[in-house]
Amino acid sequence: MSEGYEFSPNPRDVGFQIVSRRTLLASAAGVAGAAFLAACGSSSKATPAATNAPAGTTGPAGTTAPAGTTAPAGTTAPAGTSAPATGGQSVTVGVYEATGKNKDAFAAGLDATGVPCKGNFVDHNSFQDNITAYLQQPDDVFTWFSGYRMRFFADKGLTGDISDVWAKLPDFSDSFKAASTGNDGKQYLVPTSYYPWAVHYRKSLFADKGYTIPTTKAEMIALATKMKADGLVPFAYANSGKWPVQGTFDILNLRINGYQFHVDLLAGKKDWTGPEVKNVFKAWTELLPFHQENPNGRTWQEAAAALENKEAGMFLLGTFVAQNSTDQTYLDDLDFFNYPEFDPAIGATAIDAPIDGWMMAAKPKNSAGAKALLTGIGSAKYIDAYLAVNPASVPANKKADTSKFNKIQTKSAELVQSAKFVTQFFDRDTSPDFVSNVIADAFANFHADPTQIDSILANIEAQKSTYLG
Amino acid sequence: MSAHLAVVRRQPRRARVWRVVLYVFLTSMALLWLVPVGGAIYASLRPYSETQKVGIFSLPKSLTIQNYKNAWTQGGMTHAFKNTLFIVLPSLILILAFSSAMAFAVSRFTWRFNVTLLLIFTAGNLLPAQVIFQPLFQMYKAMPWPDFLSDTDTGNLLGTKIAVIIIHVAFQTGFCTFVLSNYMKTIPKELGEAALVDGASVVRQFWQIVMPLCRPALAALATLEFTWLYNDFFWAVVLLNQGAERPITSSIANLGGQFFSNDNLIAAASMIIAVPTLVVYLALQRHFISGLTLGANKG
Repeated sequence: MSEGYEFSPNPRDVGFQIVSRRTLLASAAGVAGAAFLAACGSSSKATPAATNAPAGTTGPAGTTAPAGTTAPAGTTAPAGTSAPATGGQSVTVGVYEATGKNKDAFAAGLDATGVPCKGNFVDHNSFQDNITAYLQQPDDVFTWFSGYRMRFFADKGLTGDISDVWAKLPDFSDSFKAASTGNDGKQYLVPTSYYPWAVHYRKSLFADKGYTIPTTKAEMIALATKMKADGLVPFAYANSGKWPVQGTFDILNLRINGYQFHVDLLAGKKDWTGPEVKNVFKAWTELLPFHQENPNGRTWQEAAAALENKEAGMFLLGTFVAQNSTDQTYLDDLDFFNYPEFDPAIGATAIDAPIDGWMMAAKPKNSAGAKALLTGIGSAKYIDAYLAVNPASVPANKKADTSKFNKIQTKSAELVQSAKFVTQFFDRDTSPDFVSNVIADAFANFHADPTQIDSILANIEAQKSTYLG
Repeated sequence: MSAHLAVVRRQPRRARVWRVVLYVFLTSMALLWLVPVGGAIYASLRPYSETQKVGIFSLPKSLTIQNYKNAWTQGGMTHAFKNTLFIVLPSLILILAFSSAMAFAVSRFTWRFNVTLLLIFTAGNLLPAQVIFQPLFQMYKAMPWPDFLSDTDTGNLLGTKIAVIIIHVAFQTGFCTFVLSNYMKTIPKELGEAALVDGASVVRQFWQIVMPLCRPALAALATLEFTWLYNDFFWAVVLLNQGAERPITSSIANLGGQFFSNDNLIAAASMIIAVPTLVVYLALQRHFISGLTLGANKG
């Protein structure tokens, strides 16, 4: 540095024309232009490849398919079936699964509707995280959930009113219609399936040790104590990702304070520092010694492995717990029961059973096609084809084929039908931002140090008005 | 005399001790750094049905490359690699072209705005991507773009891979201009003057004098930028709504479901995805290191 670099003279001072710099810019522009041309070339080449992702979807991707015609060779549109009126072109669909059985199930279901569509398969987490950006440029119809999460976007006018589609959907009970209705009384969702949260256990373990299924809190604690004496961890427990323990909160709150209080609390209408919530955390703290320690660092899959290996006796989770294993002996042995009653006055009549479904964009490009597709999705054909590939949930449609149900599906349907109140799960029943910014950390902190609960609850109460005005 | 000898003898012994300590330290650090990579390779070779029962910290009963095959097909990697190539190569070429031209202008000539320009270019780089995301998102949405130039049918730039290329170029040109202009300042001005005396135009000075001398710096930047652009997940996810448009980094995400993720499969995918950056680094390694030292020697 010390010998000092001096700038060269200005080119103009030494006789260069300004044109030189223009030439320079022009050549730079040339490079850019060439790159763009190259870009376009490879762009058009990429188009056919774009269809390789949605392998099982119907219809010719990217092309217009007149209604009623059969799709060109190479795609898997249901040739020969008369497609419903679709406005003359394929419907774009956004799906929050990108691989494996999960994705194939959606593809099979869409296939069964007979409406030509072009699939956009995105991985679940980035689809959810990116939903607000996605809704700025959505596909015609897309997968989403019931609950606050549905009403939130419906209120903002970001999703389309499909009340007229509902007029053509006779096969849903009123409770599903209610779960698909926004705050303005119009329908915004076509429900497809649901799965309950319950206490999972291994039948063989219970039989070997002579355990019986508890129906009250006292029985549950007695059973857990016995399991501990037998060298088992009574409850497998996980909170990696900071969402699984919300299910435990839901069920404790539903058992201790009842459905209405739970709904009001999540809507921001009740006090988090009040005695009701304190009671929930008192019971939770009392039960924690019966759970696996340090859940914050454990994934639910690791906890499920403890259940499978008979290290843990029970596991409160959604029925998706079965997805963790491919061992048929274990899956046949897996069973569940409803979370026991804590207060006879309240009973054990409320459960979490999240409903999944489809919504429509506020302004779909192909409105007629989108509504035709949603009508198809609301039919038994769709969900039968879907569940044939991925039988991990229970159909919402009354006419759906129940003859091929596996044991878990049959029991799930019975459990939900016997429930008087169904909730959607914490993070679907309240503002998503409230959950990700406040609740997720608060519950994790509670598990790190349960004695801090008073300050944690005060903190939740102080922040809730920001999200639930 | 004897004292002097003792000193002479003690010096190398102490040096030897230090050398041993150094090697022990370096070896253990290297091993420590290799643990996660080794763990990922180990996990990627084991079937999920096995690790799910016995845990990841266990001796293998069977080793298989099935995870790699599955990761390739289930992650849609052929297609995703094409997307990455489509985004990264034009971006890289444009970034290096723009920034070397810019660096040449601000470092080899004195004119009114050269420091201002350099500052603006560098300052733009200090903003985190998340801050400019919202305005950029709206700008792209308002910018018409013919559908026949993209795979999407949105009619605007949002959701096209071109949009990702543009923001990469805009964002990275600042940093590259900064590095290249510093490097160009170290090239003796006499070279430019001599060329000038011989009648070389500015363009010729740029192409035939400065650019060849910048090869180490360009290679170093190309390696770095390739890694950054290749590893980008943020812009790809927020700007590209269509799963089929997304680059290779989204393939890992694709392998995770709503609830269930096969960690062994994801480890295999990570290994596959790490290969191209390693190849580029190894191929340009010589330039990369000489680029660093060349910049350090002159100054």
